[in-house]
Amino acid sequence: MAARAGRCCRAGLSCGALLSPALLSPAVLSRAPATPRWGRAAFSSAPAVSGREGPQAREGSVRRRGRTLQFVRSAAPPRTERMAVDQDWSSVYPTAAAFKPASVPLPIRMGYPVKGGVPPPKEGNLELIKIPNFLHLTPPAIKKHCAALKDFCTEWPSALDSDEKCEQHFPIEIETVDYVSSGTSIRNPKARVVTLRVKLSSLNLDDHAKKKLIKLVGERYCQETDVLTITTDRCPLRRQNYDYSMHLLTVLYHESWKTEKWESEKSEEDMEEYVWENSHSQKNALDTLLRIKASENVSNVTKEELLASEVVKNYRNSVIALKNEGETESNISQYKESVKKLLNIQA
Amino acid sequence: TQTAKSHTGRAAEHSDNSHLALQAKHTEQHEGRLYNIPLEELSAVFPHGLPHRFQQQVLTFNEARVMVRKPALELLAYLKGSNFSHPAVRYVIYGERGTGKTMTLCHVVHYCSRQGWLVLHIPDAHLWVKNCKELLQSSYNKDRLDQPLQASVWLKNFKASNERFLQEIKTQKKYMWGKRECTEEGRPLREVVEQGLARVRSASDAVGVLLRELKQQSHRGSFRLLVAVDGVNALWGRSTLRKEDKSPVCPEELTLVHNLRKMLMNDWSGGAIVTTLSQTGSLFKPSSAYTPQELLGKEGFDALDPFVPIPVPNYSPKEFESCYGYYLERRWLQHEKGQGWGGKRGMRVLGLELVSSKWAKKLDKLNTDFCTHRDAQSFAVPSVSLQGPRTFPPCASGLISSVCPCTPRVST
Repeated sequence: MAARAGRCCRAGLSCGALLSPALLSPAVLSRAPATPRWGRAAFSSAPAVSGREGPQAREGSVRRRGRTLQFVRSAAPPRTERMAVDQDWSSVYPTAAAFKPASVPLPIRMGYPVKGGVPPPKEGNLELIKIPNFLHLTPPAIKKHCAALKDFCTEWPSALDSDEKCEQHFPIEIETVDYVSSGTSIRNPKARVVTLRVKLSSLNLDDHAKKKLIKLVGERYCQETDVLTITTDRCPLRRQNYDYSMHLLTVLYHESWKTEKWESEKSEEDMEEYVWENSHSQKNALDTLLRIKASENVSNVTKEELLASEVVKNYRNSVIALKNEGETESNISQYKESVKKLLNIQA
Repeated sequence: TQTAKSHTGRAAEHSDNSHLALQAKHTEQHEGRLYNIPLEELSAVFPHGLPHRFQQQVLTFNEARVMVRKPALELLAYLKGSNFSHPAVRYVIYGERGTGKTMTLCHVVHYCSRQGWLVLHIPDAHLWVKNCKELLQSSYNKDRLDQPLQASVWLKNFKASNERFLQEIKTQKKYMWGKRECTEEGRPLREVVEQGLARVRSASDAVGVLLRELKQQSHRGSFRLLVAVDGVNALWGRSTLRKEDKSPVCPEELTLVHNLRKMLMNDWSGGAIVTTLSQTGSLFKPSSAYTPQELLGKEGFDALDPFVPIPVPNYSPKEFESCYGYYLERRWLQHEKGQGWGGKRGMRVLGLELVSSKWAKKLDKLNTDFCTHRDAQSFAVPSVSLQGPRTFPPCASGLISSVCPCTPRVST
């Protein structure tokens, strides 16, 4: 068994460090400090020498493994114990790095808790190491980045101090993405994509033009935010894609103002919202009212008079609400009341 | 105990309902109470049209009791106050599944027949657009299709319920059935119906003639016409029928549906049109649909517009207690150990969910008491969720030995 352990030891100190707890004699164990073996100086970034200079001077324990002597170094206290509260964090994590439990002075627990227990601690926690962290992008670090970049920036115009003013003067937003990678080439085909966003309220469109434009662009228009988004990537260069997207916007604008001959054939199914005029509902209501008037021998009632009457207007509004907004309890009860008034039904 | 007293009180209410037999006097104070329809009248007024569960309940309890509910009262008030010289008003009863739309319609039909109206009751329009074995090409109009079986079944039931009217009302035109047979002008409508029953091929046309005659003559005032259609959304939906070349059939290509659609237009006066929307039995409609626009679709809504929608909700706590008390009285709901219902322990019922929270807490407590003393005997009451009228009563065949409604026990 000792020979086998000896062979493992030759592979590396780490292996030996893991095996040693099983082989240590109780006497040696009691002498060594009770720190986890795997948090050893072998892994930590700080040099072994500085780790030793603590308040307690620890002797390295000596063990005999086979024929060779082995110094078992005791674990140094983690760096977090010596961190000041107001230290400069951006020097601990200057760049993106893996999570180092000994360098992050936070009592973090992560993982699935044992039954009746708590999630595992941060020491040796693979879950914390696997995930990306943003410890290198704390607000003070970003402030430093901004300060460094400030020399390359121009001043923001003082007249544009609110979002509304920006939108009013610059309604079109162009979005492009630059890609940086560590490699031999600075080119990236994804960098040619250009996204153009504009609010339709900032364009000069009348009712017909707006409806036509929305029909032309289809999926690219968002009803809730009134934003038209055009994404172009068909040209190889960014500038070409930008020119193409501006061209598309221009063409859409001018085409939506034109009215073609075939647009007069627009039918009820093409309508975006329910229009009560010239609908079945209007026809039915007028027919019914005319029949009621005829049964009461009241003649000379014209359609215009009927349409202008209060009950018909009420009915019209309730039908429009029912069709456009969908059916809710309040809509249906409003419709019911309006029909009762229209047909003069008394309970 | 308090529960016992309330139950005997309710028993007195139910048995003593003779004064409610005159339905015309139903008002809001009668809301939640059950009124009795004599069984002979039931078979005369409802040869078809009652929901299946209600029919089972009638068989089980040997009596027909209908609960008076707000939607029905509202409808009756409208009908009482309507002006019969104006075009017929359309009422559409809608609501979620199992809330009592068909029962409301039946209540209205019963009222109208008691008042002497002519009731044109189509029990389920869905039956006319699906599962039709025979489809004949109509002789009257080549594009349309006849349904002889459905038409003859309906004519038979219509004849059973409206005998005297069929004798009184005369035809206004001469009708030719095929090359040889004809019905002269001025003959009672009964002959048209009998022609349809005798010659099944022309049954659909007979229905069409009947509807046309009734529509034209209703404004005269000699009779009032009630058109009651259950499942009216079938007329404007899709059908599962196919022609011989396997192409699908639109509902308007069916003679029966075409004629019924014409009947539902409000271009006639002297009556009313009461319809029900129904998702159960409907074709190609999701089970969550219950509002008028969802079930009727655009075409149906435009055809029925303007109509008065009448919502039917689930049982209110008062109605629930009334129904519950009725079942207790009829010994439908029983409890173990046979101590006589309404005894000192109160009622113990297993596995019921309730609408009213007061009852829920009370029965929860009783339920837990029961569970701790559970016996090996199987309990008579199935576990149902009591949220609406349809879950009452459970299927008669399910409860065989433990329920014995015909032997009333004197409560101690």
